[in-house]
Amino acid sequence: MYDYTIIGAGIIGSLIARELSKYDLNVLVLEKENDVANVQTRANSAIVHSGHDPQYGTLKAKLSVLGNKLYDDLEKDLHISLLKTGAYVCAHDKDEEDILNDLYENAKLNKVNDMEFLNLSQAQLSEPNLSDDITKVLSLPTTKVCFPWEVAFFALENAINNGVELIRNSEIISIDHKNDIYILKDQNDQIYESKAIINAAGVYSDDIKDMIEDDAPFKITPRKGEYFVLDKSVRGFINHVLYPLPSKKGKGVLVTPQVHGNILLGPTSELVDDKGSISTSKTGLTYIKQHVTALAKNIPFELIIRSFAGVRATSTYKDFYIKESTSHKGFYHVAGIDSPGITAAPAIAKYLVDEIIKIKLPIKDSFTPTIAKKIVFNHLTKEEKIKKQKENPLYGRIICKCEHITEQEIIDAIHGPLGSDTIKGIKKRARAGSGICQGGYCESLIVKIIARETNKDLTQVDYDQKNTPILYKETKVSS
Amino acid sequence: MKDIYDITIVGGGAAGLSAALEAYDPNIKLLIIERDQIFGGILNQCIHNGFGLHVFKEELTGPEYAQKLIDSVIKKNIEYILDTTVVDIKKEDIFTLTVSNIEHGEFEIKSKTIILTSGCYERSRGQISIPGDRPKGIMTAGSAQRYLNMDGYLVGKEIFILGSGDIGLIMARRMTLEGAHVLGVAELMPFSNGLTRNVVQCLNDFDIPLYLSHTVTDVVGKESLEAITIQEVDKDYNFIEGTQKTFKVDTLLLSVGLIPDVKLFESIAIDIDPLTKSAYVNQALETSIEGLFVCGNALHVHDLVDDVTIESQKAGRSAKKYILDAKKDKACKKVVDFDQLIRYIVPQSIDFNNLSQDVDLSFRTSKKIEKATFVVEQNGKIIKEVKAKYIVPAEMQKIKLSPSDFISKDDLYIHVKEMS
Repeated sequence: MYDYTIIGAGIIGSLIARELSKYDLNVLVLEKENDVANVQTRANSAIVHSGHDPQYGTLKAKLSVLGNKLYDDLEKDLHISLLKTGAYVCAHDKDEEDILNDLYENAKLNKVNDMEFLNLSQAQLSEPNLSDDITKVLSLPTTKVCFPWEVAFFALENAINNGVELIRNSEIISIDHKNDIYILKDQNDQIYESKAIINAAGVYSDDIKDMIEDDAPFKITPRKGEYFVLDKSVRGFINHVLYPLPSKKGKGVLVTPQVHGNILLGPTSELVDDKGSISTSKTGLTYIKQHVTALAKNIPFELIIRSFAGVRATSTYKDFYIKESTSHKGFYHVAGIDSPGITAAPAIAKYLVDEIIKIKLPIKDSFTPTIAKKIVFNHLTKEEKIKKQKENPLYGRIICKCEHITEQEIIDAIHGPLGSDTIKGIKKRARAGSGICQGGYCESLIVKIIARETNKDLTQVDYDQKNTPILYKETKVSS
Repeated sequence: MKDIYDITIVGGGAAGLSAALEAYDPNIKLLIIERDQIFGGILNQCIHNGFGLHVFKEELTGPEYAQKLIDSVIKKNIEYILDTTVVDIKKEDIFTLTVSNIEHGEFEIKSKTIILTSGCYERSRGQISIPGDRPKGIMTAGSAQRYLNMDGYLVGKEIFILGSGDIGLIMARRMTLEGAHVLGVAELMPFSNGLTRNVVQCLNDFDIPLYLSHTVTDVVGKESLEAITIQEVDKDYNFIEGTQKTFKVDTLLLSVGLIPDVKLFESIAIDIDPLTKSAYVNQALETSIEGLFVCGNALHVHDLVDDVTIESQKAGRSAKKYILDAKKDKACKKVVDFDQLIRYIVPQSIDFNNLSQDVDLSFRTSKKIEKATFVVEQNGKIIKEVKAKYIVPAEMQKIKLSPSDFISKDDLYIHVKEMS
């Protein structure tokens, strides 16, 4: 019997798990995917917004401004990567300047700090590639960029260290509520019993809700966003997050520097019927190229190394829906978490636990808020590298040449607390294959390392999902 | 490794080994660094034949060609380290290479010159922005070739290939022979990007259709690849409606271009030619950094390994001359300019103060031409004319200029005169 069961191990579920792990409780996290942070958390802009955009008075406004601050704590405790970029919101004419002024007033009400207006020449001093068509810029210095998968991984790892249990490949198909106990059944007919449930199922949160109650205070109306990734050799081309003016569809097509030096261009914003559709489209990709030039000139499109799409869990409720079910006590919905969801995530977790659930327990003595710093070998000093390589020679063999990822880092990713045995899983953890050749050289080496470390045949090493081996069959075998 | 090397060669493939053999001299301290556990580079996965006709006057497979070079390197006792990656190159008075391997971890190697032969990498799906889902089952033809020929695994059974580069064509044949079903090859251009002999021997001989002026416009399959759609393009590469064809396949191989892998240049400020995406070199294959030479597919992508060897021998000779000749001329760089029918030319500049050997111009045209004359001019005067027929961008053109051909130390201009 669990005290709390969290459905969904994205960045929201993971941070809630960490928040609950402070207390003497039995906490379970169920994830339908074979990996943590595999859906909405995997594909987004990674921005920790300053909180300028959500309308004053909304939960989105409150939690994004708070969440932005809490990222500094996560950086200290979990050693997450955080890039303190600042942001420029760009207006192009008098009408847009008026909207920019309104945005400034809204941001002031939201208590966003240190904002200022710049004219084009002032802004171009720090961003020479800013488009010459821009007339006025709102500078938002508190804007940052994180690495969302890493935030989810590290938060959940910290939660697990503090006693939380994680089960992957568990998709909930039914929920019963009897005698104040929730009975969850997954697709493998596994049964889990829990006193309380937290629905952090992202784009599937309304499906989970529908399993327990009929009246529908929210419905997910998924929006797809497509992106381009520029190779990290673009580093320094733009150093701030660049926003056009927000519209009804969202924050528009942005230029966003990433923690590893890449730059994202996007997203588009299209309503979709299929929650699982993460396909890109010719129309979407063309749209990005056309619109992003309003923000920056000389964009090196030839450095595009990848395009991707993600689906965000926009809901009919128009704000984050973080409430206890009216009909089922102890069932909490954390739904409709679209932009600025990444930003608000740490604040959402606190808000849920402190203000909605209102846990009154003392923080347990054994709770440790920190995890050990992960080794990114390429970031070490010369002396640290030599020391590490003496302890473990596999830090000397470079597997991914583009990102300088060593064999030991790949082994660590396979066997780590939230280990993985898929090519995408290793890429998410160790960045092997994320560079300009996209695994063209290292993938075959990684397949062999995974097979060796997990005692599998090469044909059993999956690409991403279950039963997706990249090698179909061995050719020279006698049968 | 405390000594200072005269010449360090980064890469132990065809280019590196060929350069090493030519640079070899009992008075020169020479080192080859190879990231793989064996020499040979991409030749090791090219188990088809057709290599060596020019250099060795016989038809060899890739591994056989490599082995001939390896045997000579071993026989000459040239120093080398395998399973070692070069992570950085810096230059002060001399070069410092930061390298890493299991035996020593990260350490430094000093060298007076470097010949960079780091080869090329394949353009990926992301670089050409193919829309659609991102399931398993999409990879470059070279990756599939490595899995098949070196590891012994097929990557799928129902195959479609995008791009008619040589690796794609060769894999169409290779996978067919191993029992897979290749449904077709699509090529964006109105002509194949591979050698004509490969179109004939790898596609025509196996009844594999080639869809010219077509590209992949959709990919379907949430977890594993299920289908791809191709569509025809007009001469301006606009999609022609109603020409969509869908193929149910589990594998899409990409053979959509090779890019010189000169990532190491990021830590060393070197002039880059945006056309070749590699170093700007003179006729000695020396870059804008004195003592740094580049050759092979790291400089520009070659059709034949024989051409790689010949070019790399030149780089080897240049580096040797740099070490052994006391007198070093200050480089006087003159530019090779060309008209729009030419896509790129290597070398991009000529050092007229150092004109001891022939200047070998390698270039590709930007379109298919039936019949033409390549004209080299200096000071508005024709100094060389070369006639050619059936010119395709996929096949590299060459013009050899001897030092006596030049009439001044001024820029060269090369243009293509189309004949009807």
